[in-house]
Formats: sequence, structure tokens, C-alpha cells
Amino acid sequence: MNNLNSLLDGFVSALTLSNLGFGLLGTFLGTLVGVLPGIGPALAIALLLPITYTVSPASALIMFAAIYYGAMYGGSTTSILLNTPGESGSVMTALEGNKMARKGRAGSALATAAIGSFIAGTIATAILAFTAPSIADLAIKVGAADYVALMLLAFTTVSSLLGSSQIRGFIALSVGLVLGLVGADLQSGLARLTFGNMSAVEGIETVPVIVAIFALGEALYIASRFKKVGWNILPMKGKALMTRDDWKRSWKPWIRGTAIGFPLGVIPAGGSEVPTFLSYAVEKNLTKHPEEFGHGAIEGVAGPEAANNANAAGALVPLLALGLPTSATAAVILVAFQTYQIQPGPTLFLTDGALVWTLIASLFIGNTLLLVLNLPLVRVWVQLLKVPRPYLFAGIVTFALLGSYALNTSTFDVQVAIAIGIVGFLFRRYGMPITPLILGLILGPNLELQFRRALQISAGDYGTLVASPLSKVIYLALFIVIIGPLVWNFKKKLAIKK
Amino acid sequence: MKLPQGAKSELTFVGSLFALGFLVFWDTARSEPPAFNLTVSPKVFPYAIALFLMGLCAVLFIRILRGDVATPEGLAAGDPIEKSDYKTFSIVLASLFAYLLLIERAGFVIAALVTFFGITVAFDNKRPSRALLFGSIFILFVYISFTKFLNVVLPAGILEGIL
Repeated sequence: MNNLNSLLDGFVSALTLSNLGFGLLGTFLGTLVGVLPGIGPALAIALLLPITYTVSPASALIMFAAIYYGAMYGGSTTSILLNTPGESGSVMTALEGNKMARKGRAGSALATAAIGSFIAGTIATAILAFTAPSIADLAIKVGAADYVALMLLAFTTVSSLLGSSQIRGFIALSVGLVLGLVGADLQSGLARLTFGNMSAVEGIETVPVIVAIFALGEALYIASRFKKVGWNILPMKGKALMTRDDWKRSWKPWIRGTAIGFPLGVIPAGGSEVPTFLSYAVEKNLTKHPEEFGHGAIEGVAGPEAANNANAAGALVPLLALGLPTSATAAVILVAFQTYQIQPGPTLFLTDGALVWTLIASLFIGNTLLLVLNLPLVRVWVQLLKVPRPYLFAGIVTFALLGSYALNTSTFDVQVAIAIGIVGFLFRRYGMPITPLILGLILGPNLELQFRRALQISAGDYGTLVASPLSKVIYLALFIVIIGPLVWNFKKKLAIKK
Repeated sequence: MKLPQGAKSELTFVGSLFALGFLVFWDTARSEPPAFNLTVSPKVFPYAIALFLMGLCAVLFIRILRGDVATPEGLAAGDPIEKSDYKTFSIVLASLFAYLLLIERAGFVIAALVTFFGITVAFDNKRPSRALLFGSIFILFVYISFTKFLNVVLPAGILEGIL
């Protein structure tokens, strides 16, 4: 009951006229940026962060929640009509959705994606509203050593589940950890990796890194390789509506997608890649139209889209309750919170309860605004796909550089952004995943802090790291995550030899 | 020994990441932590990360030599890797540096316009005058909305007094 009252209070503070205005603006901007090809939700949110710098926290949060859902929705439009998924969670949507669009069924694909995302988002946000506070209550009892274990688990799953090569994932993570080291050590004041640069003493800001590694890295990479490759936008006939048969074939995949996506968001499973893939596989197995899979099956859009949105809401549980981001998007959200001087974690519901409930209410409102506005406006968004590539990249890069500079009005951040842009280019060229780097940068300092805290409490006894039952369970999971793929690869090699 | 396509440049990349690990190690070794007693020295983490990074790079180095070459993003494993287009790449990179040099000297509008224009040139825009026009409108719009409506500070530079 208490949670319900708090949620209602959240709605009261979110539903003022000015906040609704910010919500509308957020939905519009989120979709606008999310629909641009090659931009996933993580980058869209990072690019739009400067807009929320000077707004009051409550207004900023509702705008931000709207941007978040807008960007997710925009991304699915691009996947369906252009076959360029902006992030790994939309790959499955692109697979079937683009085939549907090729057959002239773009409207149905867009509608099932939007309605599925709405339903999954609403259910998942409701579960979030009622589980996150209880998890936070439990999390207060989680000790520093358990945090160390949890972070190591998040690092390992994200590094080994993303991309094609485990070792490249871990190298990406290490580079992020190195970036997180730069600056004065919080406990001793020792300057690390600053090389006499005073601007570096305060450490590397996360916003320029995120914006640069996605936006500048992508622009440099596309410039070096795919300048001549154009995009093939598929026309959209009719309205974004579903037939009775489409509804019949979509509702079960939506529910199943939600059921798969949410729990996999709560545990650190490496972002939205695994749940969307799983949902696709489940739908492919259960469908009554197996012949359509691979040629534009609506279930293949409905399930993964729902899974993607539910997964995003699920990822907010560890983020809000533990302060632990488990995907690139969640990491960006953590940074956004920090720019509003809010530190997610077990005490968040106590210290900033009103704000968190406003955010959760905003997620419901943002999700609804999106459905009401975007389906009728889909043709407007489609026009955006026609922005010529030179202008598109020029605009993205200008915005990214603005965001890097505006944070502290410092050229040091722009220097960092350009350097990280080059790193982003090299990572793409050499097949290294980006997300582990971001997690390393954001969570590295936190890991060190908790590690030291644990050892201080135990007076230097390293045994404390594996003393609690929770940490034992986590290390066991960690062992499976590391060894599992190795055994799998070994078995595959043996099978090939035979 | 004949290396697979793309292996040489990847070895250089992995080598430089190894050097990064070494730099962290060296910087940690030469730093002097404060005299007061800490349970965990501020050197423990940097040492661990440096060794982890160097170890991983060494393993990947050997694996590349044995044929495990990276697949660039957007390609499937085994696709031929085209030679990079360094001309376009350089123009984009130069446009980024132009922003860095101009932002505090000439102001946001000029710096952003030079960058915007540079990137449209890099991506083969056939109509430079149109790019300048669109770029100016876009950047002025962004400048005015951020400084006037969102109170974000952006330098006016040489256009101070006009904007």
C-alpha cells in the first residue's frame, strides 16, 4: 500500500502542466534522435543530456524518461524501415521487421512494435515499481564484499556475452578501467595517470566519453569504410495499424517477450542482446507459421520488441536498488542521475524517495505519451530517415561536441572526447565491444572503493571477499560465465573434428 | 610466416594497448603514496589493471598470430576487409580538431559551423553552399535554444554583441 501511495504522489508531482510539457518535448526529441540511423538509445540519451542540465530535477526526470522511451521507439522504426539497428537489442526486430516492410507490411510491423513496447513497458514498469523498493530494502544488508562480487559478475557477463570474442571484451573492459583510474585517488589524494595535467586531476568525465565513443567513433568509422554505401529506405504504405489477425498473432509474443525480457534485465545478463534473441527463438519454436520466419513473421517483431522494452525496465531494478548498471543504456542513465546529484543505490528510496517515484510515474506517462503521439505521427518520423548522410553525421558530431564542452565549459573535455572518438573508431575496426569500456569507466572507481571498504572492515583479511553466502553464490555464477563459453567452444571444435 | 589479411595492423593496435598497460604500470611504480597507513594502497588497483591488460594483450597477440583476426563492426566473420578510406577519415578528424581550436577563440557558432561543413565535405556533399546555409540555420537554432532557453553557457566568441 505504501508503494502505491508513493507512486500516486509521484504521479501528482509528474502531472503538472509544465512537467507534461517537458514530457512531450522529451518524447519528441527522443524519437527524433532515436530514429536517426545508427543511433541507439544509449547515444540518443547521452546526446540529449545537455538539454536537461539546467532544468529542475523533477522536470528533468520526466523529460528524461520520455527521451528514454522515445529513443527506444525511434530505434525500432529505423530497424524496420532501414534495416540499420542502432543497438544490439534491435537486431532481431530488423531481421523480421524489415522483411515485413519489404512485403509492404511496414505499418503492421511498426504498430506491433509500438503497441508491444507499450504493453511490455507498462507491465515491466509496474513490476519495477513494486519490486525495486523491496530489493533496495534487502540491498541495504548487502556488504561491501558482496558489491565487489556483484560488480565483478556484471563486468564478466557484459565482457563475455557481448561481441564475438571474450578476450576482446575483457580488453575493452580493461581500457575502461584504466580511464576510470585517471585523476586523484579519493582516499589518499594520490594523482594517478594525470602526468602533471591539472584538468585531469578531477578525473575523466563520463558524458564526453560516452558521447564520443558512440557518436565520434561511429562517424570516424563510417568515414573510413562505408562512405559510399547508401541506405535503402523502404516505403510505408497505409497507416500504422494492425489487422485482427495481426493482433491475434501478436498478443502472446508480447506477453512472453515481457516475461523473458524483465528478469534478464534484473540480473546482469549483458544487456538486451540475449533476451531479444531468446524471445525470437521462443517465438520461432512456438509459431503456427514457421514458414514465415526469416521472411517477415509478425511474431518475430512482437516478441523481441516487447523483450527489449521489458529488459530496459528490468535493468532499472539493479540500477535504482543497487546503483549497478548492467547495459550501456543503464550506464548512461546512471550518469544522468549523477548530473542531477542523485546517487542510485540502496538508500536512494530513503534519500530521494519523492524523486524516484516521480521518475517511475514519469516512465508510465512517457510510455503512454509515446503511444498516443507516435503511431499517428509515424509518417513524420519516416521523413527523418531521408536526411542526407552528410548532414546527418555533421549534425550528430556537432551535437556530441557541444555536449562534451557544455558540461564544464572546458576544452579538456573536448580533447578527451576527440581522443575517445579515435579509440571508438579503433574498437569498431578491431571488433572490440564498446559497452564493457563504458561499464569499466563508470564502475571501476566504485569497485575500488567497495574493495577497499571491505578490506578496511576486515582489517586487511582477504578472506572477507568470499565470506558471505551471497558472494559465494555470485562467484559460482562467475565461474560458470567464464568457463561455460570455453567448454562450449571446445565441444564445438571436437564436433567439427569428428 | 604469412599473416592473414588485417593481422598486421591489428597487431600494432594490440601492441599499443599493451603499451598503455605498461604506461599504467610505470606511472604507478614511480608514484609515491602518502605516508599515512592505508589498508589497501592506492597502487593495488592500478597494478592489477595494468597486469590484467598486458596479460590479455599478450594472449590476444599470440591468438592473432595463429589466425584469430578481428571482424570489423558491420562485417560478418570471413568477409574481405576493404582498405580504409583514410582521406575521408582525415577530413572528419581534422574537422573535430578545428572545433577544439576554435571553440574558445572564435566561439561556438563559428567552431561548430566549420566542423559541420568539414564533415559534409568529407561525406561527399555535392552542394557546399547549401551545406553552409543548412549548417548556419541548424547551429544558430541550437545556439539560441541552448543559451537563451536552457541557460547552457556556450562562448559567443567573435560574434559577441551580435548574437
